[in-house]
Amino acid sequence: MTETRSSILQGTLDLMVLKTLEQLGKQHGYGIARRIEQVSENALVINQGTIYLCLGRLIRKKWITAEWGTSDNNRKAKFYSLTEAGRQQLAAETANWERVSGVIFRVLQPEGS
Amino acid sequence: MANLHEWIARARGFLRPDDLEHDFDDELATHLAMAEEDKIRQGLTPEEARRQARVELGGLTQLRESAREARGLPWLDNLWLDAKLGLRMLRKSWGLTLVGGLAMTVAIGVGAAVFAFFRMAYFGTLPLPEGERVIAVQTWDDEAGRRHPTALADFERWREGLRSVDDVGAFRTLERNLKIGDSLPVPVAVAEVTASGFEVARVAPLLGRALTREDERPSASPVLVIGHDVWQSRFLGDPGVVGRSVHLGDTVHTVVGVMPEGFAFPVSHRFWIPLETDRLAALRHVRPFDFVFARLAPGFTLEAAAAELATLGLAPPTAPGASHEQLRPRVVPYTYGASDDSETQVRWVIRIILLFATLLLIPPCANIAILVYARIVSRQEELAARYVLGASRFRIVSQIFVEVLVIAAGAAGVALLLVRLATRQLQVLNADAPFWVDFSLSFDTVLFTACLAVIAALIAGVVPALRATGGQMQTGLRAMNSRSGLRLGATWTALVVVQVAFSAAALPSAIEMAWGTLRSGVLGPGFAAEQYLTARLALDRAGLDAGAEENPAARFDALQAELVRQLESEPGVSEVAVAAAVPGAESWATVEVEGIPLAGRGIFAGPNMIRHNRVDETFFDAFDVPVLLGRGFEPRDLESDRRPVIVNRTFAEKLFGDGSLSLVNPLGHRVRYLRKIGEEAAEASPSEADPPIWYEIVGVVADLPANATHGTLYHPMTPESTHPASVVLRSASPPATVADRLRGVATALDPNLRIDEILALDEIYRRHEVGNNMGVTALGLVTLSVLLLSVAGIYALMSFTVNQRRREIGIRSALGASPRHLLAGIFRRSMSQVGAGALVGLLLALLLGYYVPMEIVGGWDIPGIVPTAAVLMVLIGLLATLGPARRGLRVDPNEQLREG
Repeated sequence: MTETRSSILQGTLDLMVLKTLEQLGKQHGYGIARRIEQVSENALVINQGTIYLCLGRLIRKKWITAEWGTSDNNRKAKFYSLTEAGRQQLAAETANWERVSGVIFRVLQPEGS
Repeated sequence: MANLHEWIARARGFLRPDDLEHDFDDELATHLAMAEEDKIRQGLTPEEARRQARVELGGLTQLRESAREARGLPWLDNLWLDAKLGLRMLRKSWGLTLVGGLAMTVAIGVGAAVFAFFRMAYFGTLPLPEGERVIAVQTWDDEAGRRHPTALADFERWREGLRSVDDVGAFRTLERNLKIGDSLPVPVAVAEVTASGFEVARVAPLLGRALTREDERPSASPVLVIGHDVWQSRFLGDPGVVGRSVHLGDTVHTVVGVMPEGFAFPVSHRFWIPLETDRLAALRHVRPFDFVFARLAPGFTLEAAAAELATLGLAPPTAPGASHEQLRPRVVPYTYGASDDSETQVRWVIRIILLFATLLLIPPCANIAILVYARIVSRQEELAARYVLGASRFRIVSQIFVEVLVIAAGAAGVALLLVRLATRQLQVLNADAPFWVDFSLSFDTVLFTACLAVIAALIAGVVPALRATGGQMQTGLRAMNSRSGLRLGATWTALVVVQVAFSAAALPSAIEMAWGTLRSGVLGPGFAAEQYLTARLALDRAGLDAGAEENPAARFDALQAELVRQLESEPGVSEVAVAAAVPGAESWATVEVEGIPLAGRGIFAGPNMIRHNRVDETFFDAFDVPVLLGRGFEPRDLESDRRPVIVNRTFAEKLFGDGSLSLVNPLGHRVRYLRKIGEEAAEASPSEADPPIWYEIVGVVADLPANATHGTLYHPMTPESTHPASVVLRSASPPATVADRLRGVATALDPNLRIDEILALDEIYRRHEVGNNMGVTALGLVTLSVLLLSVAGIYALMSFTVNQRRREIGIRSALGASPRHLLAGIFRRSMSQVGAGALVGLLLALLLGYYVPMEIVGGWDIPGIVPTAAVLMVLIGLLATLGPARRGLRVDPNEQLREG
């Protein structure tokens, strides 16, 4: 199970972070990590530090932007939001993921079904 | 596009690492605080909440490291780190730095100098508007493979017939005496050029006007255009210079224009007069043009011009029955106008020479590679530990490469400095270089030198690094616990031995060559050269052309004789002599003595390569040169069928025996020329139809200069045999005074009699020394680098041996072995290899001296130089072992036993 979780995350963390920002709008890194864990019903427990490496990567590619702000509990935090290029990338990767997962699902179906 | 943004972001991250680092730390701190708060709300204690928050976040150090690598330019960071490490290593291993740096400086310097020279000589761009479109038109001889003098008819045919080029022009260089007002005449080089030359150059005059087609008419008044520095120096910048009259030879010219500073078209000229092609056709002694030039017409290329010229061809030959089938016109870039080379040929030659210059890097860099390998071996544990901690082989090899690159970069910098100094010196010695030659250090030269530095670092750094980090990296890991480790294999030790042999073989030649070059400066000429003033005497072209009925050579002889007569009566002048060349500056030739086999051929002619001169009867007396055997020249020699010659002492010693004149008498023997350097040997006769011309030796004189290393053959100055000539005056008066009188007397005799190159004889010798000293300095650097590499190689070999056998030394010492026996045991094998190298070098040196004559590699003029050099190499080798020997004797037996 653990092996399955880690191999999924390596390929899709970028996609999940982009999707999370699309759903939540502006959010800080801790909030993004907690959201991913909650939505996956804790099936995906990621090394939270990798979120920040992923966010750094997405900033360099100009798919998200960042600015310092104040959180709900009055803490100084860095908030991330999706850019237009990020939205397009998200749409493209989502479509790709659905296509690939559909193909794999058909291959795994028992014969005759 | 995303990739581009990423690269830009990485570059920003590289430039502002601290800001981004703090930003990241702040963000992680915020995350931890939020996570802690959440867990405390869930009921955990603050300590447990903090612990779990840190565990869920992951290792902070690893995160920072990953973020740092992700946002910067890690390869650049590594490069900078390796460079800093390299600099540290330079300070620590100063021996390798010194030896490697010197060897690389010499090797890279040679390559850089060759590149800079060829770039200056062949690839200068004309500093004129659209200079690349200015071309030269030549008449090419396919059979002879060189230029043929362009006929006047061909020039006029091209001028009228070509459409692909504009403003076809031509020029020739004349030498005239320039006289301004009452000043003394001075010889100057004048460009006799068509007016189209100024249209081709497209440079407007500063004052007045340039030459026009009207000036070329036979009936036009003689006019002159002058250069900017002439205007400043000779006319003191007179704004009213236009309209002034000057004498060029015996013709009065009016100055009509002044060209701007730096203008020297066609080659290096500062005086321009019209080329009257009509007048040229009528002259008997017309000299061909220097070359024909033009500018490509708009829209036409060099190739198109060449095609049109090939179609137009040459004018039909005028002489009945004459043919010029082997001749054809050709178009070349302007800078090749006076050359017999084609651009294609030159480029190929340069490529080959540059390849050799690059290959020259291999021997010294291979030797440096030995030293680098030895140093890697001494660091094997450090490198193995890095490997275990995750450094890839590529990372380790690149680190070593950068360390060596630091040395190579420093060497390249020094090499460029030396090249710059050399080109500056070259500029001073070549004041009349063509105007397109740029003596400054070009960007191309710097780039080429940088490439050489990288290649040197690849050979000296990457090769040993790859060897040391191959399968031997595992050996290094084991070496962390044992003492076996990496070894200096047979290949490396053999290289050291070869290095020693090469040094021992080359050293005698280097010393001989240096001494042969320097001895004239050290010993002096052997007479009071400062009392002698020399000058070149010639009759310029107008003087030779003007006397249509008179024999110009006879006229020159008569003028020369009268000049000598008048100079001899000048107060303060004690001796006057005339010769073809001043002593020490004669031309070279190879000769054969009847009945004595040649020592060699061509450049290996050895003692048969001599200097030769034509001198008048007073020459030897003027220099107080005694006649050792036979007699001096007499008036009857001028018409003798026996063609008498006189030789110097060195000639007699080298060609007639063992140095004792009383044993071998050269008088009566005959000599003939095989080849004169710089001119065809008219006397050389390969066939029986032309019997050789023999000269009989009638006298032997002392050497002049006293430090002469070559034989000299003197001919009597027969009538009409010498033009131009060198006049030599001996006087106690100041040279400037004598020079003025000399000019005055000469031009009073004939305004076309030109006196130039007036110099004291010691000044001539001093100028020769400048070039010699540069050569000896370069030779000295090469020899020193070879020696140092040998020493360093031996040192590294011995040092490594001691290091590897420390335990053995310790145990043997503990068992009571004496230091002498210890050292003998350790060094026996290594020193025997060094000894073998010295012996091989000795044999090579002996073979070199036997088969290659002294004049080429110095030979063995200094007694015992060969065995002395071999002994010197052995002593140097012993000296190199002192350090490692001392370390070996200091090995603590107790420490070695404990480590066991």
